Amino acid sequence: MTIFLQSLISGILIGGVYALIGIGLTIIFGVMRVINFAHGDIMMIGMYLTYNFFSLAGVDPFVSIALTIPLMFLFGAILQKTFINRVLGALPQNQILLTIGLGLIMSNTMMFIYTSDYKILTTSYSSSSFNIGTISISWPLAISFLITAAITLLLYWFLMKTDTGQAIRATAQDREAAQLMGINVKRMSILAFGMGAALAGTAGALISPTYYIFPQIGSTFTLKAFVITVLGGMGSIVGATIGGVIIGVAESLGAVYISSGWKDVVVFVLFLLVLLFKPAGLLGKSKM
Amino acid sequence: MRQINALITNTRGASPVSIILGVVILAGLFLFPKAVESPYALHIMILFFLSTIMGESWNIVGGYTGQYSVGHAAYFGAGAYTTMVLMQFKQIPPWYGMIAGIAVALVVSLIIGSICFRLRGPYFVLASIAVAEIMRLCAMNLKDLTNGAEGILATDIPPFTLGGTVITDFLSKVPFYYIGLVIAILTIAVTYLVQHSKLGYYFQAIREDQDAAHSLGINLSIYKNIALAISAVFTSLAGSFYAIYIGFIDPPTVLALDISVQIVLICIIGGIGTIWGPVVGSLVLVPLSEALRSNLIAQGIFKIGLASEESGVGIFLKDHLAHAHALIYGILVVVVILFMPDGVLGYVKKLTKKKAM
Repeated sequence: MTIFLQSLISGILIGGVYALIGIGLTIIFGVMRVINFAHGDIMMIGMYLTYNFFSLAGVDPFVSIALTIPLMFLFGAILQKTFINRVLGALPQNQILLTIGLGLIMSNTMMFIYTSDYKILTTSYSSSSFNIGTISISWPLAISFLITAAITLLLYWFLMKTDTGQAIRATAQDREAAQLMGINVKRMSILAFGMGAALAGTAGALISPTYYIFPQIGSTFTLKAFVITVLGGMGSIVGATIGGVIIGVAESLGAVYISSGWKDVVVFVLFLLVLLFKPAGLLGKSKM
Repeated sequence: MRQINALITNTRGASPVSIILGVVILAGLFLFPKAVESPYALHIMILFFLSTIMGESWNIVGGYTGQYSVGHAAYFGAGAYTTMVLMQFKQIPPWYGMIAGIAVALVVSLIIGSICFRLRGPYFVLASIAVAEIMRLCAMNLKDLTNGAEGILATDIPPFTLGGTVITDFLSKVPFYYIGLVIAILTIAVTYLVQHSKLGYYFQAIREDQDAAHSLGINLSIYKNIALAISAVFTSLAGSFYAIYIGFIDPPTVLALDISVQIVLICIIGGIGTIWGPVVGSLVLVPLSEALRSNLIAQGIFKIGLASEESGVGIFLKDHLAHAHALIYGILVVVVILFMPDGVLGYVKKLTKKKAM
């Protein structure tokens, strides 16, 4: 029972970070109907940023997100303006291939600079943990979960209460109608991609103390992000949050009860099953 | 048979010049190993054939039927692993391994087709990737069967015959040259037959408008599955051929997402849904990635004098440029999608049309 609870809780904690990646992807899809295959690579860039802040200036990874978030936002906004914007009306496959290409450029540029060696970011608290009853919880995971929760709540508030947030949601619901209502749709797209990149980058920063950092890590997370968003229903933020936690728990339980080598298979099988039986996702066809 | 005759006699409007050119090129290709003995030149040609086979195969399901599979590594890996496991662990000659590989790839394509073809557009792309990833993870984890992450190195090669001669060692590249050439010609011929048959028209109707095709009585799932099966057979052949030729396979080299992307890339760069697109794509990609891999480009930069070999920049280029082919692939995809969405072939056509006007 302890083992079960233990893996359940660490699954939920890591699921929170996964949710962040998924929410980023889902916002981009919601506003632009573009599936961003470079999402995991954007997250990887966030990891390297955090690694550099830490190794060059000694900035704590959790503190450095104050820098990572605006930088990644800028990065995403530039990507949208220079590349994605040009294929908004193109065939979905061309959009997919373009983002795959961008992802290849990102991961291989990083490999060019940092080689494919694994980098490890070890903080003083990387392996420390605390106990609740018989269950031990790792500090870095707990902190990143709290930060994730705070960011997610802030995001909700932004999307629900602010004018810009409402404009973004309106664009997601109906691009043309939003434009007719005087919403600057182009600006919303840039904002959405910037936010998506910032969220992915933040997720990268948050997991960097607990993961190996290497240029090719992105594609795994791109796929994971899809599984998460498809599970929750493409374009739904609540769905992505739930999807993230489900995937985190499935992985964590899979690793304990099957084997760590097979845990990703569990995730993909789950994904195919959802695609087959509930292609609109667990939450149906909800919009943002 | 009538169709094959038609292929030979009726050239469907091809000009005599292009027929003569075709015959000359074909003769040149068959005589090439007689004239050129350099193993490196043969190696480049073999890679070119391999790339053409992979591109043409994807083209049938991706280009003609419009189903963008980004999971073709599944079939490539199926062929490579089946052939290699049978050859290395069971001493079964690679010819039979190739056939077994095709059988496995067909089964995989049926499974993938029946799951994924219910999905459309981006969902199909995602599902195809997921299935290929599952296969990669299986190859990693089923250590007893596949040696896991270590991969399989061909050391116990059973002798096999080719055109009457028994091949016991894989040292000469000439046999592989001819095997590659024949399979490449075969895939191009099949693509030609498909394009000009009723089957191919069904495929293209599905690509243009699924719902319209369906309402005309075309059974979408059957024809999509047929397209995928044809595609899987040849991709698997390419995988088997690769495994025997290189003599080593592991999950990252035959089952990774990169392979699937490369296969798609061959077609996008050349021109999707055309017979010669994958050939043109291979003509661009193979020399380029080989030049990078063998550090030819770095050597070139030193020769022109842009950087000296001992300088910091020189050492950096020498160390890194060899691994840069994936970076160049990425840049090529972005450039092609943004500036020549119809590939090199489409771009050239547009240019010549403009000139004619």
